[in-house]
Amino acid sequence: MMRAYHAELTKLLRRKVLLITAIAAVVFGVGASAIVVNAAEPASTLSRGASRALSIEALADAGGGTQIFRSAIAFAGFFVLVVFVGWTAVEFSRGTMRTMLLRQPRRIQLLAGKVVALLTYAAVTLAGIEVVAWLTARLLAPGAGIDTSAWTGLDALGSAVTDYGAVLLWVTGYALLGTALAVVLRSVTVALAVGIAWFGPFEHIVQNSWSGAGRVFPGLGLEAFAAGGTSDVSVAHAVIVTSIYVVVAAVVACTLFARRDVTA
Amino acid sequence: MTTTTTAATKSTAPVLQLDQLTKRYRDHVAVDHLTVDVPAGVVAGFIGPNGAGKTTTMAMLLGLVRPTSGHATVLGESIAHPERYLGGVGALVEGPALWPGLTGIENLELIARLSGGETRTVGDVLEQVGLTGRGQDRFGTYSFGMKQRLAIGAALLGEPRLLVLDEPTNGLDPVGITEMRDLIRALTRADRTILVSSHILSELEQVSDWLLVIDHGHLVYSGDAAGFAARASVEIVLGCRRVASLLPLADIVAAHGLEVGREDDVLIVTPDGRDPDELAEQLNRHAASAGIVLSEVHVRRPTLESSYLELLEGVSR
Repeated sequence: MMRAYHAELTKLLRRKVLLITAIAAVVFGVGASAIVVNAAEPASTLSRGASRALSIEALADAGGGTQIFRSAIAFAGFFVLVVFVGWTAVEFSRGTMRTMLLRQPRRIQLLAGKVVALLTYAAVTLAGIEVVAWLTARLLAPGAGIDTSAWTGLDALGSAVTDYGAVLLWVTGYALLGTALAVVLRSVTVALAVGIAWFGPFEHIVQNSWSGAGRVFPGLGLEAFAAGGTSDVSVAHAVIVTSIYVVVAAVVACTLFARRDVTA
Repeated sequence: MTTTTTAATKSTAPVLQLDQLTKRYRDHVAVDHLTVDVPAGVVAGFIGPNGAGKTTTMAMLLGLVRPTSGHATVLGESIAHPERYLGGVGALVEGPALWPGLTGIENLELIARLSGGETRTVGDVLEQVGLTGRGQDRFGTYSFGMKQRLAIGAALLGEPRLLVLDEPTNGLDPVGITEMRDLIRALTRADRTILVSSHILSELEQVSDWLLVIDHGHLVYSGDAAGFAARASVEIVLGCRRVASLLPLADIVAAHGLEVGREDDVLIVTPDGRDPDELAEQLNRHAASAGIVLSEVHVRRPTLESSYLELLEGVSR
């Protein structure tokens, strides 16, 4: 697995990729943080259904600074899915999966190395986004009436680690589902079409007509987890449901990848 | 179906041993009970018409495709465990598939890391395939010939004992084909076996010393290249300045008890076991004494292509 991991890093740790990632992380961290801070309102004026975690009072807590990061990153679910689907599916479309299998025939190790490398890269990027989002929020919060005096100190650090862990777990869920989809469908276009259609319109349309959808579907489960739970789905339930999907998807993808002929 | 296997010219243990290897896709049999050995140290040309099963056979040997039945060994290891032998194999199958956004050097470094090998040999490999000056350029900017070269460079990483090259001249212009042939020649070493498929038989003829010929998934020939070429008949070509002289010339040939046929404006004589050069000289002399001036006298020796076509003709009969 380490061979595949190091090989994958060759693609990721290029100057151009690093530069684009850094710019995207800064733009996203600043932009999303600004939107969340400016959208914060006193709890008493929040509309029904709005997340209480984003009230001015809640954001003034020790974890407020990084709660902004956690809430902001939840907007990027599709992006994470698209990146992981595309990253793996393109290897099939271009024939480079065949090239890699000629050098690393242990297929599961190859797949694991690829996913772990991209997750490592995502983890570092997320840490960067968290710092940028926190700094931006710290600058903008006073203007929005948010008290930031509790944002430094050990409690705040603990919250930062917890929020980071939660976001990483959430990204891992999308990463594994996206990779599984790519391995099963082996085409960038088809995998993206299916992934976006399923996690976007399909789950939400069903949710509109059936309130129980959030307790059953993986995308809605991941959304509920990122939001720290909803009125319909607790965090624990979201974790369990999503984990089941992820495990089943991983088993199916690994089985197919290990057994299927690689002809393209 | 005719299957011929001649004795190996090199006596070392086979690098490839296929035993009843079969691949079936629903109703279509791509490779049909293929049984053949390839000795070590040869450049083995793998010949067959499009759809004969060459690429599928190579893909099975490289662990990319599972056989439906039968088995095979590569470098002494079963193809059920490609991880045990692929470290000693370099391959280019179904065209050059590398990462277009990476430079030539980065592509080779990636492959080297994936193989668990050293990345410092990358420079040597680039030099070997003639891409030293283009190593810093992105793979996506390369011409097709350069892409083929880099893919062969990737196959060469780790000093493989077996090189498997599937149609390396596909898509190349005449200059590219000549360069590829020279490259394959340059890669030949005593301790390396090369299995190379191509539909350009004249190219294989110049680099191969061993041949595998398959048709519709069946083996039709396996053996040394010289033996294969010798299977086809040598012919003597006789041409006259005046076409009207062809008939009396044919009588002269027939008087020697030889079979004669006509091909456009020339006569084709089958030497029937006699020394063709000596016979051509005799016929020329007899024609001259009969007042027939020959404008063309030469011995047409079989090429790989003519032998191949003759063999396939025999198979389809």
